[in-house]
Amino acid sequence: MKITTIFLLIAFALPAAASSLPSERRKNGPLIQDALGPVQISLQESSAVFYNNATSGPFIYGTIVSEDGLILTKASELEEVDSYYVRVGTRKYRSVLVVARNQVWDVALVKIEATGLIPVDLSREANLAHGTWVVSNGATERRFRRPRPGIVSANKREIPGGSPAVLGVGLDSKDDGVYVNSVTEKSGAEEAGLKKGDLLVKVDGTAVKDRDGLIEYLKTKDPDEVITLEIKREEETMALEVTLMARHKLYGGTTSRNDQLSGGEVQQSPRRTGFPMVLQHETMLTRRTVGGPIFTLDNEFVGMNIAAVNRVEAFAIPAAELGAIVEGLKKDL
Amino acid sequence: MKFGIIVTVASLMCGLMAHADRPQFNDKEAPQSLDDFRAIQKALQTNLERARAATVCLEMGGGSGSAVIISEDGLVLTAAHVISKVDQEITVVMEDGRKLKGVSLGLNSETDSGMLQIVDDGPFPFVDVDLEDTTKLGDWVFALGHSGGFDKERGINVRVGRLVRQADATIQSDCMLIGGDSGGPLFNMDGELIGIHSRVGASREESMHVPLREFQAHWDELKEGKFIGSGSFAKKTIPGSGFLGLITEKAEEGGLRVTEIWEESVAEKAGLKVGDRILEIGGEEATAEGLSDKLAELGEGDKLKLKWMSGEETKEETIQLEKRP
Repeated sequence: MKITTIFLLIAFALPAAASSLPSERRKNGPLIQDALGPVQISLQESSAVFYNNATSGPFIYGTIVSEDGLILTKASELEEVDSYYVRVGTRKYRSVLVVARNQVWDVALVKIEATGLIPVDLSREANLAHGTWVVSNGATERRFRRPRPGIVSANKREIPGGSPAVLGVGLDSKDDGVYVNSVTEKSGAEEAGLKKGDLLVKVDGTAVKDRDGLIEYLKTKDPDEVITLEIKREEETMALEVTLMARHKLYGGTTSRNDQLSGGEVQQSPRRTGFPMVLQHETMLTRRTVGGPIFTLDNEFVGMNIAAVNRVEAFAIPAAELGAIVEGLKKDL
Repeated sequence: MKFGIIVTVASLMCGLMAHADRPQFNDKEAPQSLDDFRAIQKALQTNLERARAATVCLEMGGGSGSAVIISEDGLVLTAAHVISKVDQEITVVMEDGRKLKGVSLGLNSETDSGMLQIVDDGPFPFVDVDLEDTTKLGDWVFALGHSGGFDKERGINVRVGRLVRQADATIQSDCMLIGGDSGGPLFNMDGELIGIHSRVGASREESMHVPLREFQAHWDELKEGKFIGSGSFAKKTIPGSGFLGLITEKAEEGGLRVTEIWEESVAEKAGLKVGDRILEIGGEEATAEGLSDKLAELGEGDKLKLKWMSGEETKEETIQLEKRP
């Protein structure tokens, strides 16, 4: 049985007579930010800010991983913007090149022409206890990255979410094979002409044995890749070329009450599930403030923010995992 | 006169002692250094394990919320809008997934306080309550809850913040909350329970909690299972809205003979069959008037105990009434 949550009601304001704490003293207020000055130095040094050329507004952060200009950021957000420039510290870099992507983790490695940058230390195994302070980027000014505090708020874990690349079909396993039982509108499958009732015979030349096998194969693929499906429709066999799509683009736009309460996809990262390992914290992030590094009070780098999940949860890729991802991406250079 | 002086000195001493007990970071406008943040972290982590052990998820009728155990024998505080009814069976889930049986006690529909009793045998992990109502505006606090429902892999969600507003029946913090946190606990940095999550504002930094003093003000009524007030946090059952799903006639041997049963009704699910003879309704001898009086008085979700003869067998069931179609 599906359990739905009991929702908090949206409140009416407290009576005017209530005593109130001035906003600068609150958790996300400027006095608290001031006290985080020693950690802000690390954010300032090792964060990149991506600005949209069309609007001149910042739209995502990045994490500096090499002294000579390699930056890691959230791939699905970068892909949403046609052209952009980067700021590190007070310097502006107009030439930005995407050099590699990892769809499983939704990260992109980009390169700017720079020297002498201060990269984060990717070697640390981050096993932080619940309640440990971490500091993320909040809103940014042109010259100054504002720190935002939060604590590690839940167990480190895998976030399921299926393959990032999808065909856009529902599958039906029968004794004699795997059949298409539905085709999602505007999907690559629909465009390629797949129809309900088609029997899937081969994918990229390999026989489709069962549903799980096909799903496992798709996990190795990235969105926008093209696969060849050999299908049988009535007695006819045909080959179709299907362009895979990013799951969150095809099936995104979830509208649970908790998503509404979280500001929907203005505030939440559209791609917020399907990560092999995350560190969860409760720093108040939005879709536009992920991508940057997070540090402990001792300026130790512990992860890169990868998703503003909802009103209360933010995910970061832990430092050690990030190290392995960067090594993998560098092989593609 | 002399007596008066002693009292003054004694209360002054109490004042001083209470002050000395307060964590220093609570009396600062804001943290002055990273060490102040470290002190907050240390206090939170010292008390977190015990607080987590006593924080539970409540599951009932397809919904879920949060709550906290405050005594070894399983007395639980939560929000009125989570339990929504008095005397209702509710599943209590510990963080490790262990499920316990609970029954809702009283609630206050005007301030959103609610109480529940675990009926399984204890002892249970529990937290201390800030009986003295010592928290002040600006104090650092932490919130726990099963945000979005029970998730064993994730576990309980922890949030930190400050008390930002105080009113009589509501306290407000800047700990962020979401659906499923309702009914969960808010603690001071000594690990004492100071409030129960109730509702949120449009901003992520506005969360309202029912203060413990509000529970204390109605403690006995809540424990006795009373439905207090006519506020918006819970609606009292509407008399006559309950449905059993059967028709009876007077039986010659005494009691009521079942002549018709609605398919899929609660009566059918309880095992009643056409031809069965109802002996007792709600502990009283079954009569046609008795049955119609009971159904006029009870509402959807209320319970009715029936005893009946099915062939040679005597059966007894407490049936929860469904909504009259």
